[in-house]
Amino acid sequence: MRDELPVLHGVPPIPEGSQPHARCQDECFLGEKPEPLKYREAIQRIKNWFRANSLHVLAYGTGCGSIELRPLGTARFDMERFGISTRPTPRHANVLIISGYLSIKTLKRVIRSYEQMPSPKWVVGLGSCTINGGMYWDSYATMKQLDLYLPVDMYISGCMPRPEALIEGFAALMDKIKKGEANGYLDYLERLDWYRENQKKIIHDWDLPDYSW
Amino acid sequence: MKTHIETLKRHQFEVLWTHQQRANLIQIGIKAEQTLPVLTYLKTHTPFVQLTHYSAVDWIEDNEFQLTYTLTNPQTYEILMVCARIDREAATADSLHKLWPQAVTYEHEMGEMFGLKFPGSPRVGEPFNLEGWRDMPPMRRDFDTVKFVRDSIPERPGRQAINTRDYIGAEAGEKRLLHD
Amino acid sequence: MTERPLEKHTQLWVGPQHPGITGNMSVQIWVQGDTIQLGRTHVGYLHRGFEKLVERRKFIQAFPIVCRICVPEPDTNEYLLTAGLEELAGIEIPERAKWLRTLVLELARLAATVQALGGQAGTLGLGVVPNWTYTLRDYILDRFEELSGGRVYHMYIIYGGVRRDIPEGFFERLEGTLKTIEERLPALDNLIFDNAVFQKRTQGVGIVKPEWIDEMGISGPTARGCGRPIDIRRVDPYLVYPALDFDVITADGCDIWSRTLVRRGDIEQSIKIIRQIMRQIPDGPFCARLPNMLHWKIPTGQTYLRAEASRGEMGYYMVTDGSDKLRRMHVRGPSYVHGFSLLERMLPGLNIADLSATMVSMQTCPPEMER
Repeated sequence: MRDELPVLHGVPPIPEGSQPHARCQDECFLGEKPEPLKYREAIQRIKNWFRANSLHVLAYGTGCGSIELRPLGTARFDMERFGISTRPTPRHANVLIISGYLSIKTLKRVIRSYEQMPSPKWVVGLGSCTINGGMYWDSYATMKQLDLYLPVDMYISGCMPRPEALIEGFAALMDKIKKGEANGYLDYLERLDWYRENQKKIIHDWDLPDYSW
Repeated sequence: MKTHIETLKRHQFEVLWTHQQRANLIQIGIKAEQTLPVLTYLKTHTPFVQLTHYSAVDWIEDNEFQLTYTLTNPQTYEILMVCARIDREAATADSLHKLWPQAVTYEHEMGEMFGLKFPGSPRVGEPFNLEGWRDMPPMRRDFDTVKFVRDSIPERPGRQAINTRDYIGAEAGEKRLLHD
Repeated sequence: MTERPLEKHTQLWVGPQHPGITGNMSVQIWVQGDTIQLGRTHVGYLHRGFEKLVERRKFIQAFPIVCRICVPEPDTNEYLLTAGLEELAGIEIPERAKWLRTLVLELARLAATVQALGGQAGTLGLGVVPNWTYTLRDYILDRFEELSGGRVYHMYIIYGGVRRDIPEGFFERLEGTLKTIEERLPALDNLIFDNAVFQKRTQGVGIVKPEWIDEMGISGPTARGCGRPIDIRRVDPYLVYPALDFDVITADGCDIWSRTLVRRGDIEQSIKIIRQIMRQIPDGPFCARLPNMLHWKIPTGQTYLRAEASRGEMGYYMVTDGSDKLRRMHVRGPSYVHGFSLLERMLPGLNIADLSATMVSMQTCPPEMER
């Protein structure tokens, strides 16, 4: 009986070769009694399915793309039908949207907000500016490549992306989470030194704590 | 508006040049050391009581900064633009914060962006837009923003620049489409 | 403006990550109980260095980046840059282009005013109003998309006129959009102005003293809410505004309530203006003949040009030096005055809970304060 895999309705099967992350499995069981691998996978899949369908976006408009986030909440585009809602504080949120260009002064605040968010958490980069600097490629005040400083799970291109593009991006992020591939937050913990080094390279007056719990 | 400039001249203020840009916009040039007396006179004795805009221009060829004070007459909405040139090395100008409270913001920004000094102005020297800035003030003409970006902000490789002239020439299929 | 706070105080930061703040800025406040003793505005979180960027771009390259200076209402920036450089270069634009520019500016004002009306109610906890007004704004953005291809950034006003003529049947669809907005207005009134919470929390709160107006250069709904009919469209007319019939709405409470009333009246005036433009627009070319944009040089000169944005007087100071690039551009947005000097003067004595309502009532827009 225990070796049988339960039937999961609506949960997509994990494709071959994409094993859930090792630390993902560990955190489910707190080292009590190791379950058979099949169960771990099944439970992980259920968890991912739940997580993908309740995305809580941190209401922090870091750039001009945030003006297209607000229409997303109205009846016309209605992001709540995907289970996406906004949260005013990082302690309640699990998706951080970098909406467009990110000045170095804001990057410091964003790092702090990101580290305060509870795991699992995901970062969505919005617009060309997060990908390669966009039209501010020669500006002395903005960063040019977001994934050096934060683990980005999904980029949405455009300047600025339309609300439909945002929904498309969220749908892709949800698929990624369901498959167990959106593990940027684990990558951030594992390679924290590397990220810190990059962050300190452009933030000259570094006064943040080791980790903003 | 012309009469006010005439009275300025009668009061021993030196008006270096006058230029009428639009029907309701006149520009005058004054000496830098007379800036504060002229502006005080304009605020107290003429209808130009509103400091609408206040900014600096870097004339690096002349080794000078130009300070532009845009004053508005709130009755007729005529604009009087007062220009004064200061030395680029000293980069020190009179502060207007006692005449107009909003001048503090403009001076705060110019202090950071141009490295200008306004003795007595309460916020010059505090960070405004930039945080942890180590280079020269970014709005000076000799600050090369491309070099700064190449040196200190990592970029994603693969971004290519297209020469507009070659691109349009190739599109049109003509070699001598453009001329200098 | 005292620089030293009282001895017993708590220091708080509102923003940059705060749902009640407008955009991405922060206000540092010193409070006693829940009364603010002193406040300081801190900006720079949206700084991109536009003024440096336009100095190293040709005129035609500078034009698509200026609209990013103000996100809710980008067209005023496009108009001011193009009109200022046309003035310095001595280019006359065709009559139809003037009417089309006025149409776009007024549509943008309408969209931004509708959005601000909802935002004002949203800061006081009325969550339904912003949902409705954002939808109304979306209908206007649909028309913009039809006209220019862009929802938020239009880049429609270009040197010499506008980028293209209006599409076929545009005015009929625009009339439909205006009707939709008009039909919703009574319901919005009911939600906002008849609401006891809104009345109690806005009347007598956030007072702007009328004697500050001339000295500080306060403009837009903030000045008109103090009973002063300051409207750049009327006092320093540009484009075809002298030929149009509209009222300058004023209210004399000097508080948030009056500013919201002015904004509500502005919506009707904007609709009235757009209807007049649709009736009276002449035929003709929509863009003047221009020199080769890659070699366009403008002789030495400087100018200051202003226009009425939905928030107040937007001014551009531009200097050219005979080359093919701008020597200097400085943007004096209305928030530059309202967000720093005026807000810091208004904060002492204000309740913490009214901070965001006060800020939104002046439509403080951080990207134009720091650019």
